[in-house]
Amino acid sequence: MDLVFNDTDKGIIKIDPRTKFFMFLASGCLTLSSFSDLGTIVFTAFLCVILGLCGKPVLALKAAGVFFLTVFFRFTMDASLGAPKVIVGILSMLSTAVMFSFPMILSLIIIVKTTKISHFISAFQAMKLPIKVIVPFAVFFRFLPTVSDEWTGIRKAMAFRGISLSPAEVIKHPWRTIEYILIPMLFASINVMDELAAATMARGMDVDIKRSSYEEVKLKAIDYILMVLLIAMVAVSIILGNMVKGGSTI
Amino acid sequence: MARKEVVNANVQSDKKLRTKDLIFAGAFGAIYVVLMLIVVMGTGAIPILYIGSPFLVGVVCATVYELCVLKVRKFGAALILGVLFAITTSSAYLPGLIIAIVVALLAELVMIIGKYQSKKMFLVSFIVFNLNMVCPFTNLYFRRDAFLAMATEYYSADYANTVASFATGWLPVVQIGLAILGAAIGVLIASKLIKKHFERAGIV
Repeated sequence: MDLVFNDTDKGIIKIDPRTKFFMFLASGCLTLSSFSDLGTIVFTAFLCVILGLCGKPVLALKAAGVFFLTVFFRFTMDASLGAPKVIVGILSMLSTAVMFSFPMILSLIIIVKTTKISHFISAFQAMKLPIKVIVPFAVFFRFLPTVSDEWTGIRKAMAFRGISLSPAEVIKHPWRTIEYILIPMLFASINVMDELAAATMARGMDVDIKRSSYEEVKLKAIDYILMVLLIAMVAVSIILGNMVKGGSTI
Repeated sequence: MARKEVVNANVQSDKKLRTKDLIFAGAFGAIYVVLMLIVVMGTGAIPILYIGSPFLVGVVCATVYELCVLKVRKFGAALILGVLFAITTSSAYLPGLIIAIVVALLAELVMIIGKYQSKKMFLVSFIVFNLNMVCPFTNLYFRRDAFLAMATEYYSADYANTVASFATGWLPVVQIGLAILGAAIGVLIASKLIKKHFERAGIV
């Protein structure tokens, strides 16, 4: 088990992990307090560009494709008046949920896919945060993709054995379903945790002295520009969202 | 004298969180949050299940929480779990964030009463901890209109109206009740599962 989120060396620009974390908080703010379509679309496009510039152009294109398909789908749903109301309602609900949670998911992807965990830790150490605060966060972000990997793996394994995860089955045997999903997931994750703990031990994380790092940790001009842009975008879209509340959306 | 200090330092470090414990707490936090999101998103399209999500999350996530605290057995595991939960779910609304962290501290307090040894207190502490599922809804209690506007925008006017019809003064009481009930059921499942699988494997 490697202590690396993912490779970053190919990127055109290098963003400080702190800026990425700020991006995550900003998109959380946007998702939970702004109701503006335009704001969300612009913000997501911006995040896609950053993901592309950070060295993941293919992933960025994929994400942009999915997002704009969802937006397109949502507007066609709103426009289709002839179709049965229930189906339109459910589909537009789903597409709206995907659309508005997209910035948060995308900023998480940016953190997870383009940051080395050692870089993450040293950047936050430069902020004088104690290591006891940083490690849980670093592991948290490191573990999110692992958990979703395990989740898909378990679903496949269960399908192979003829155990279905369809709503009907879940309602029929709720306890059994919980057991069949939770136990393999926890066992697999505990193994990964043990390996991770051994790896950190080998890297001397257990010692209470200041750690040095090969990575240069400094907020550069691009980080400040990005932060200002993020704040501006969130502020504008919150204002836009409040202006149109109750009326038609922009 | 010097020797005495060394002994003291060792005792201290046994009570304090080591890096290993921090890794466990962070990783279990990730599992907890992902499971919670799966449960909430899987049921969120139906208003009544959305309102009742404290119950469902309590039932499903109890095992993760119990394993985490049983594995660490020190002050801080539940707190880290609570902070990670708070940041991912209610970071946009400050009162919700604060309540979530206070609830995690209360759960730690329950475990302190059990001196991080008593199994019963570990189980009881989740019932306290699960109250944090109320925090994402604090928006609905304190800023009802803003929340309903968001629901209208996210989902539909029908959905918002259904939520609004539930969102009366007694909603917090009902949700706290649901959270406690769900946690109680979840804890029963957790203690059974842990006995059946994890104790036998020597993990806790």
